[in-house]
Amino acid sequence: MSDHNPNAPSHLKHYFHDVNQQYETSKFAMWAFILTEVLTFAGLFVAYIVYRSWYPDMFVDAHKLLDVNKGLTNTVVLITSSLTMALAIWAIQKNNKKLSVLMLVATFVFALAFLGIKYLEYSHKFEVGQLPGLYYSYMGPDAAHLNNPHIFFSIYFIMTGLHGLHVAIGMGLIAWLIYSTQKGNLTSEYYTPMEMIGIFWHLVDLIWIYLFPLFYLIG
Amino acid sequence: MSEHHITPLRTYLIIASLLLFLSAVTVWVSYVDLGPLNIVVAMLVATVKASLVAFFFMHLLWDDKKNLTMFLMSLMFFGIFVTITLLDTEFRGDLGLNPEVKNPINNRASFYDTLPLTDTHGHPVDEHSDDHHEDKEHH
Amino acid sequence: MSEHKKQNYLNHPKGLMSWILTLDHKRIGLMYLFSGILFFFLGGLLALVMRFELAAPGNDIISNEVYNNVYTLHGAIMIFLFIIPAIPGALGNILLPLMVGAKDVAFPRLNLASFYIYSFGALFAMYTIINGGVDTGWTFYTPYSTQSSSNVVPMTLGIFIIGFSSILTGLNFIATIHKMRIPGLTWYKLPLFVWALYGTSLVQITATPVLAITMVLLMLERFLGIGIFDPALGGDPVLYQHFFWFYSHPAVYIMILPAFGIISEIIPVHSRKKIWGYKFIAYSTLSIAFIGFLVWGHHMFTSGQSVFSQIVFSFITYFVGIPTGVKIFSWILTMYKGQVSFTPPMMYALSFLFLFTIGGLTGIFLGAVALDIHLHDTYFVVAHFHYVMQGGTIVAFLGGLHHWWPKSFGVMYNQTIANIAALGVFIGFNGTFFPQFLLGLRGMPRRYATYDEQFVELHSYSTFWSGILGISIFIAVMNLFWSFIKKNKVDPGSNPWGGMTLEWTHTSSPPHPHNFEEEPVLQHGPYDYDKVIVEKTYKK
Repeated sequence: MSDHNPNAPSHLKHYFHDVNQQYETSKFAMWAFILTEVLTFAGLFVAYIVYRSWYPDMFVDAHKLLDVNKGLTNTVVLITSSLTMALAIWAIQKNNKKLSVLMLVATFVFALAFLGIKYLEYSHKFEVGQLPGLYYSYMGPDAAHLNNPHIFFSIYFIMTGLHGLHVAIGMGLIAWLIYSTQKGNLTSEYYTPMEMIGIFWHLVDLIWIYLFPLFYLIG
Repeated sequence: MSEHHITPLRTYLIIASLLLFLSAVTVWVSYVDLGPLNIVVAMLVATVKASLVAFFFMHLLWDDKKNLTMFLMSLMFFGIFVTITLLDTEFRGDLGLNPEVKNPINNRASFYDTLPLTDTHGHPVDEHSDDHHEDKEHH
Repeated sequence: MSEHKKQNYLNHPKGLMSWILTLDHKRIGLMYLFSGILFFFLGGLLALVMRFELAAPGNDIISNEVYNNVYTLHGAIMIFLFIIPAIPGALGNILLPLMVGAKDVAFPRLNLASFYIYSFGALFAMYTIINGGVDTGWTFYTPYSTQSSSNVVPMTLGIFIIGFSSILTGLNFIATIHKMRIPGLTWYKLPLFVWALYGTSLVQITATPVLAITMVLLMLERFLGIGIFDPALGGDPVLYQHFFWFYSHPAVYIMILPAFGIISEIIPVHSRKKIWGYKFIAYSTLSIAFIGFLVWGHHMFTSGQSVFSQIVFSFITYFVGIPTGVKIFSWILTMYKGQVSFTPPMMYALSFLFLFTIGGLTGIFLGAVALDIHLHDTYFVVAHFHYVMQGGTIVAFLGGLHHWWPKSFGVMYNQTIANIAALGVFIGFNGTFFPQFLLGLRGMPRRYATYDEQFVELHSYSTFWSGILGISIFIAVMNLFWSFIKKNKVDPGSNPWGGMTLEWTHTSSPPHPHNFEEEPVLQHGPYDYDKVIVEKTYKK
């Protein structure tokens, strides 16, 4: 029985036969988890699609109140962070601990930048009153004629907010990876957590790839 | 773990460049008015980008096919949710042909009547203006 | 076997902390089992309050407002705290690794987390009860749920949290079934309970996230007035129903698929005959899981959705009954010319066939739009879903408990009392709910505390037999627990029913902490009664 096998690596759990079975199972389960994340955002995308079909002109006009430059910058930031995340895994596969940690730190910094830009966007909206639901109060010359713009901003805040929450969670996970890799717990022999968190991070990028055109580039 | 496929560095860099290029394309294309095709093109470009991320960064091209199946299934169920919901919302009233009945929603919530006009910084404008643009043609 | 007391998962390791921090799927399964039974009795108590109120017209015991809280809590507790978590959580957790030859599920720590998340969510539900209840119905339809002053947020928060538990269990089971079977155990050699858990888990991970986001949107609608479900704010209440039922219809398949799996295990074993139509049953499980995602609008026929979608939903709803019918025929054909023994598990399985068929057929009646216009929100619907959820799932669950009790605990219960209780459940159930079909057809609305004089006779029958039903279930469960006190032990190697799946042939009763002394070698299929003789052993 493998729980008595002195040659088994310490990270091999006793209910798995070998490290490969454990690794493949973890990856597979991660993809099942990705399915649940897609379905979570799916609900919000459905709300977006339905309301855009009911208020097409309002969506077009309301979206002009968003800052395309910040959106594009965030897109670039996130794509780059995806690259550095992938490179962190590439580095650990080559057993290059230093490079891997460097790439993880870069990913963390980019994530922080993303949230920073979002903070700038959100705080501007708070200032002018472009808020969800009943808190909406912006009636500037470019918005006074709109029908129920609070719905656009509700959906905007919920979707980018949930996405931002995932960025923040990802940052926490990446921070743990930095610690774990630096300590030597993750090596080319065993880097499954890094790969799984990497998949999560790429999903965060994936969702933004759709959010960006849908909110910032309508029409 | 040595039998794991290691993606070459070059591949990662090429894909990342493609992604950045396509992001620029997305923005550029949004300035060209293609009418109803706008959304189609935007989503197509986004899907190409997403596929690059999924197949290369997320490794699906080389992985066990079950992982790809899991991912595609999630998209399929999303598709089911959207499509069937739209079968309701797009066809209300006389099979969706009567716009007034199709969108029997309160077009302008009553709290807007209590909101003062503002300038672009969100500060209320002093003079009252009576020309609210009511009943903008909606679809 | 050594002289000193054999190690099993119950007595090793010892101590309270070894249970609180256990990673053993069998112990976690027990924790789900006992919580589940607790919540079942709580939900049942609420049901009895309703039945006593309804015994006579007028508000005899409780006011209309209190009644609204009672049926809401009854529904929410039964569905979210018992049926959905407890059957995969209890029987699934105990049996799945045993049935595939694994030492545990793929992620034992996630499994424990799943239980604690469920418990944490349940606390919110308990808080709701203490703090004055919630009165929106378990469906939380807007705009009432966004305006009601009752405890909508704690309850929806609790449900949101429990959803994560459901998702984690589903993830764990899918990974386990795909990746941790012993060599030679191909998909077509798996016990059908495993196929059932697989289908259930796929539905769990796909549907539950949508429930989660729906509950979040509901809470945000309450706090921020975001406007997407409230017509006064430019939103659409029917959209809420789409969101809610996109989860809640597949949820009913989460509730019934494990029950189908249990029946697929009980019938071949207690008929000592190979299952008829193994692949039919396996594929019908996947079909039900998939088609179940396409029919949610049949809960919304009177909501105001477009006629076009009414037609589409009704049409597809008819298809979802077909794979289920396939199963029923397969089970009956399994029993045909078998050596049927009328053991307690078999009594429940036979009850299931009768009760679930009625429930399933009446669901098909409701799938006809024209008929549903009259029957929606009447007692016909109430009777239908109690026939499938209680006459179906709970009866199967009781059957499963009786079937695997000796395996899980190494004790046997009094089978005579068990059979009498099973009969009581069958008769009591029909007495309670059959009159409700008639009430619905005659126009009695659901969720009403009082009613017109014309309904009093049927309501009084229903209440009387609900008492019999409650007592019978109580006796059945107490009889099971009594087996601990009487300590009617079975021999650790015994196989009282003559089962052929790995949990019967290769583990002791109760099983060893790590399930198997050495990894099993598969020798035959799960129901090969035509090829292999398996002794029914009980005591030495």
